[in-house]
Amino acid sequence: MAVFMQSLLSGILIGGVYALIGIGLTLIFGVMRVINFAHGDILMVGMYLTYIAFTWLGIDPFVSVLVTFPLMFLFGGFLQKVFINRVLKAVSQNQILLTIGLGLIMSNTVMLIFTSDYKLISTSYSSSTLKVGGGVSLSTPLLVSFLITATITAALYWFLLKTDTGQAIRATAQDREAATLMGINVKRMSIIAFGLGSALAGTAGALIAPTYYIFPQVGSVFTLKAFVITVLGGMGSVVGAMLGGILIGVTESLSAVYISSGWKDVVVFVLFLLVLLFKPSGLMGKSRT
Amino acid sequence: MSNTMLKAAAGFILLALLLAIPKQVESPYALHMMILLFLSISMGQSWNILGGFAGQYSVGHAAYFGVGAYATMMLMQARQVPPWIGAWAGMVLVVAVALAIGSICFRLRGPYFVLASIAVAEILRLSAINLTALTNGAEGILVTELPAFKLSERVLTDFSTKVPFYYIGLSLALLTIGVTYGVQHSKLGYFFQAIREDQDAAHSLGISISLYKNIALVISAVLTSLAGAYYGIYVGFVDPPTVLGLDLSVQIMLICIIGGMGTLWGPVLGALVLVPMSEALRSNLVTDLLVKVGLVNADSKVGVFLKENLAHAHVLLYGILVVLVILFMPDGLMGFVKKLARPRKQEVA
Repeated sequence: MAVFMQSLLSGILIGGVYALIGIGLTLIFGVMRVINFAHGDILMVGMYLTYIAFTWLGIDPFVSVLVTFPLMFLFGGFLQKVFINRVLKAVSQNQILLTIGLGLIMSNTVMLIFTSDYKLISTSYSSSTLKVGGGVSLSTPLLVSFLITATITAALYWFLLKTDTGQAIRATAQDREAATLMGINVKRMSIIAFGLGSALAGTAGALIAPTYYIFPQVGSVFTLKAFVITVLGGMGSVVGAMLGGILIGVTESLSAVYISSGWKDVVVFVLFLLVLLFKPSGLMGKSRT
Repeated sequence: MSNTMLKAAAGFILLALLLAIPKQVESPYALHMMILLFLSISMGQSWNILGGFAGQYSVGHAAYFGVGAYATMMLMQARQVPPWIGAWAGMVLVVAVALAIGSICFRLRGPYFVLASIAVAEILRLSAINLTALTNGAEGILVTELPAFKLSERVLTDFSTKVPFYYIGLSLALLTIGVTYGVQHSKLGYFFQAIREDQDAAHSLGISISLYKNIALVISAVLTSLAGAYYGIYVGFVDPPTVLGLDLSVQIMLICIIGGMGTLWGPVLGALVLVPMSEALRSNLVTDLLVKVGLVNADSKVGVFLKENLAHAHVLLYGILVVLVILFMPDGLMGFVKKLARPRKQEVA
């Protein structure tokens, strides 16, 4: 039972970070209807920013979120303004290819600068744990990152629901043309949405940096995870992405313990195919024809 | 009329040249380049049938490539089955895999199909890593010696040079081009294109969507598996990341997209551009050239940096090319060339 509780709780904690990645992707999809294949690579850029801040400036990874978030927002906004905005009317396949190309450029530029060696951020708390009782202990960095994730998600939710810009973003996601007619600058909203999505992915990168290997190709793993999470939750649904993230975290963690760590990703992908087949609109998505 | 005859004559001369190359050229490196070119043409052309003509963007073609390569290599290593028989087993297996994938993924459209195709390829890659008893896991399969190819006791080749691989590659490339030509000029091709342009309209005209999508997939998958088997025996080594990885799927797709989708010569053009370019970067030709011209000092920091790192940059170039192609020439190089050629033709007429 302790093993089950242990893996369930660690699954939920890692799921929090997954949720952040998924929310970023779903936000971008919701507003632009573009599936961002560079999402994992954007996360990877966030990881390297954290690495630079840690090794060159000695900034703690969790504190560096304060720098990473705005920087990644600007980076995402730039990508949207220069590249993605040009293909919003193109067929979805071309949009996918463009983001694949951007992802390749990001990962290979980082590889040119930092080589493909694995980097590690080792902090004093990297492997410290917190005993909860009943034989269950939680990794401290995961716990901290979960709390930060929860805070950011709550703030984002408030932003989307309560502020004018947030409402304009949601209006754009609902109906681009109607939003335009209501005087909303949809191109600007797209830039903000892509910026926010990138900032969330970059932040997720910063949060997992202390517990994960950092290397230029790390992104593709997370791009795939992000797809699974958002499809599971329902493309475009923020609440769905949260649920999907935690569900995937728990699935991975449980199947690593009860099946084998080698097969855990297979379990996730099979789950993904099943969702695509039987409920492509996802858990929280509205079914569309 | 004279135009087609001119084309046929040019084709024959080109073919004669290609057949004669190994007789005249002895440099193994030049043959290696040609072999890579043939392999890329075959991969791009196979993808073209499903992606370019039927409009189903598979980002999981490594699945078929890998199954073909693994089946051939596994049979050769474990059962001493010669590759020209093993490749058939690979094709049969790939048809089964393709039909399974098709029946799942073709119920999904557009971006969902893309995602499903990636997921299936990833499941196969992870399975190849984990089924160590069958596939030797992450270590991969190494086959150093190929059995001699005999025809009624007469040894035709023992695969000791690159020459036989050159001719196999040439035949494979010609086969894929031929199949594409056949598809393009048959009813099948029109059905595929109707599905690509408007699935609902095609359906309302009585075209069975799932049937023709599956036909396109099976043709494409079988040709891709042959390319995989060819790669396996040429390199002599397969492992999960190289023959089943997402990178390979993207690379297969890019050859066709950069060249021009849904055209007969697009993938050929794409391969002609991509292969020399990435080889030039890989073998440090570009850095050497920059040094020779005097732009960069070989011993300076920049020179050393380029020498050490530019070799790994060929994928960066892929990325840049894709972005440029999508933004500025959405019909690929082929479309760009046609656009350039058009006004000139009008002048002549």
